Amino acid sequence: MQFQEPVKPPVGIAFDSDLGNGVDAALALALLYGLEGKGEARLVSNSTTVSNLKSAAFGDVLARFYAGPPPASGAFGGFQRPVPPIGMAGDGNLAGDNSVLKAVLEKKTAEGTPVYPHGINKLNDTADAVALIRNAMTAQQDQNCLVVLAGPATNLVRVMDLPGVLDLVKRKVKLLALAAGSYRDGRVDPRVKADVAAAKRLLAEWPTPIVAVGTEVGDGLPFPGSSIEKDFAWAPAHPIVDAYRAFQTMPYDAPVPSMAAVLYAVRPDGYFKLSAPGTIGVLDDGRTRFTPAADGRHRYLVIDPAQKERVIQTYTELVSAKPVARQNPRFHNDQKKDTALTPPVPVKKQ
Amino acid sequence: MTITRKALHRRSFLRGMGAAIGLPFLDAMVPAMAMGQARPRKPALRMAFAYVPNGIIMNQWNPGYEGKLGELPRILKAMEPHRDDILMLGNLTHNTGRALLDGAGDHGRCSGSYLTGIQVKKTTVDIRAGVSCDQIVAKHLADQTRFPSLELGMEDARQAGDCDSGYSCAYTNNLAWKSETQPLPPILDPRALFERLFGNGVILSPETRMRQADYRRSILDFVGEDTLKLEATLGPTDRRKLDEYLSSIREVERQIEHAEKTNAQIDPHMEKPYGVPADFAEHFKLMTDMITIAFQADLTRVVTFLITREGTSRPYRELGISDGHHPCTHHENKPELIEKVTEINTYHATQMAGWVEKLKSTREGDFRLLDGMMMVYGAGLSDGNRHLHEDLPTLMIGNAGGAIKTGRRLVYRKETPMCNLHLAMMERMGVHMEHFGDATGELSLADLA
Repeated sequence: MQFQEPVKPPVGIAFDSDLGNGVDAALALALLYGLEGKGEARLVSNSTTVSNLKSAAFGDVLARFYAGPPPASGAFGGFQRPVPPIGMAGDGNLAGDNSVLKAVLEKKTAEGTPVYPHGINKLNDTADAVALIRNAMTAQQDQNCLVVLAGPATNLVRVMDLPGVLDLVKRKVKLLALAAGSYRDGRVDPRVKADVAAAKRLLAEWPTPIVAVGTEVGDGLPFPGSSIEKDFAWAPAHPIVDAYRAFQTMPYDAPVPSMAAVLYAVRPDGYFKLSAPGTIGVLDDGRTRFTPAADGRHRYLVIDPAQKERVIQTYTELVSAKPVARQNPRFHNDQKKDTALTPPVPVKKQ
Repeated sequence: MTITRKALHRRSFLRGMGAAIGLPFLDAMVPAMAMGQARPRKPALRMAFAYVPNGIIMNQWNPGYEGKLGELPRILKAMEPHRDDILMLGNLTHNTGRALLDGAGDHGRCSGSYLTGIQVKKTTVDIRAGVSCDQIVAKHLADQTRFPSLELGMEDARQAGDCDSGYSCAYTNNLAWKSETQPLPPILDPRALFERLFGNGVILSPETRMRQADYRRSILDFVGEDTLKLEATLGPTDRRKLDEYLSSIREVERQIEHAEKTNAQIDPHMEKPYGVPADFAEHFKLMTDMITIAFQADLTRVVTFLITREGTSRPYRELGISDGHHPCTHHENKPELIEKVTEINTYHATQMAGWVEKLKSTREGDFRLLDGMMMVYGAGLSDGNRHLHEDLPTLMIGNAGGAIKTGRRLVYRKETPMCNLHLAMMERMGVHMEHFGDATGELSLADLA
């Protein structure tokens, strides 16, 4: 029996980040939820490289917040979207808390209950990030998956170590959008510095094209603090607003390379320019070096001055949009009623 | 010191015309000079999987706590006397049971992948799965026991046709796969299992068997001469053990004969094998009694037991449930249907608890038979209503000779592959595999011990 492939769903995004270390990854995740709400993408896995339950809990808060109301009709009509698992790098070496995580997770109502409820209180409330990312890829149609890395490469190289994963990635993943490195000013990006060995391996062995987003893009296209002051007013409490305010003294504009990585990944045309092809290498001190090569699989993102305002407007509109009802991406095209479940027949003589 | 007598070989058989009955562990199997010194210090390790279909009502399975087991939820209530001998494992996942672009058919997929760790091919014709972990171990131990493995079931042996949304019945009706295209169909009929274990494997027609019954009392009659010879060489303790053991075989045989006679009276034209008791619990007990004897005689160390098949619509009239099992599991949160599924789940677990009791009370040398066991009782779906493949209900029974610390509930991180457990179990059985299925690594024995 030949099984017909389902209709191609929106592109699936595996998002791995250092959520809670600053606001870049959180804003990128919020942007992704905004794009998901518009039906342009599906977040198929969300994992953090920060070995801290609070980082995973922050991810859980955002997932619940942006889940939106239950769909009014359809197969999931009236049912709240299940909260997907949050993957976390779990080497037992828990990173410390920081002001962003505290601001969101410790915020209480007048009655003393958490303003942003979450379901992550112990290690086994989180998912094994490596299995989560791999499993999410297995459920995507060929070349209909993108990976966005907004943190150290720790989790991704562990995924690469699983048997058969390089072939899986080659088959399923169209592009890795990598928010790491610096390609114009030679700075050391802390995300690379955090795990230089992993960054070297990722760039040397990852089997798909890579588009890197350097710190210079993050700096050149910051998320405006003014948006935080006005665009989120519809929400009595908003985790992105609380995170943003806690990260630095307001007013400030936050560099957001990960947002650029998400926007490019989902909407590759019209917002940015690309470098010529080449190869990105990582030096021992964590600096990245781009070497042009015609057959290179790497490129880096370049700001298109003409699109600067449009990019920032897209950021603010999508991140501050009210969450909309949607279905669980895991179930997309999968959840069908059983057919041909035949009634039992008397057992035959053996 | 001189050796005064020759030890009886562990794999001795009582033989007679068309019969070969393995022996339980006897003192006579230990060399005389070594009594008290070389008796096995550890029980023989045995691996088994007992599978129930269509998921479980998980909030009646999972206790609301982790760590040391105390009061158990309703479904597992009958396991409470055995809580020191069980380990509840949480959050194990079979990703390969999920749709992964293959659409409907979770029942077919989850049973096909349960022990293979493979995303099985959606087909009713050219089936393809993978070698199951039990068969990897069976191959490794093949020369140590009479049967490398035993595959048992209780319901449906169809190997062809569409049993779930385009998935072959080969996926729903088998747990063990010898190769990626060769499943090992389970034995359903107690008579067939009996003949396999103790006879020459020839299954006679019911009519022939009835005729034979007129002049043959028991398979034990065929081995009577050998039995007398052996008894003459045994001490009083061994004679008692042997007598108890042969009595248990006779009891099983008697129950099979009873079922055959009853069935023939009820419906002489029935399609079911005559030896299958109409009562589920009786059938279950017969099959597990024989597995116990098979373990006791060390006839095999690897067993898979498909209690009922995935997607089954078997009614449980003995519980007053005339609706099919599978339709009930799609309960859409209706309390009356949830109650029925809970009752079915509880009924299955209660039968298992009876078997555990038997394994505890059966001795093998200085150990309980259960002590060497590493038996997983579980399912390939957790929530049968939504067809979820995560947090699969998984109960480890026995401590594998002390390698597993039982009496606890251990909850792993979400998405932890079930194949990680398979890797750990194979390792414990002496088979080291770098990879298996979609494992991300072996569940560390530090977690289990």
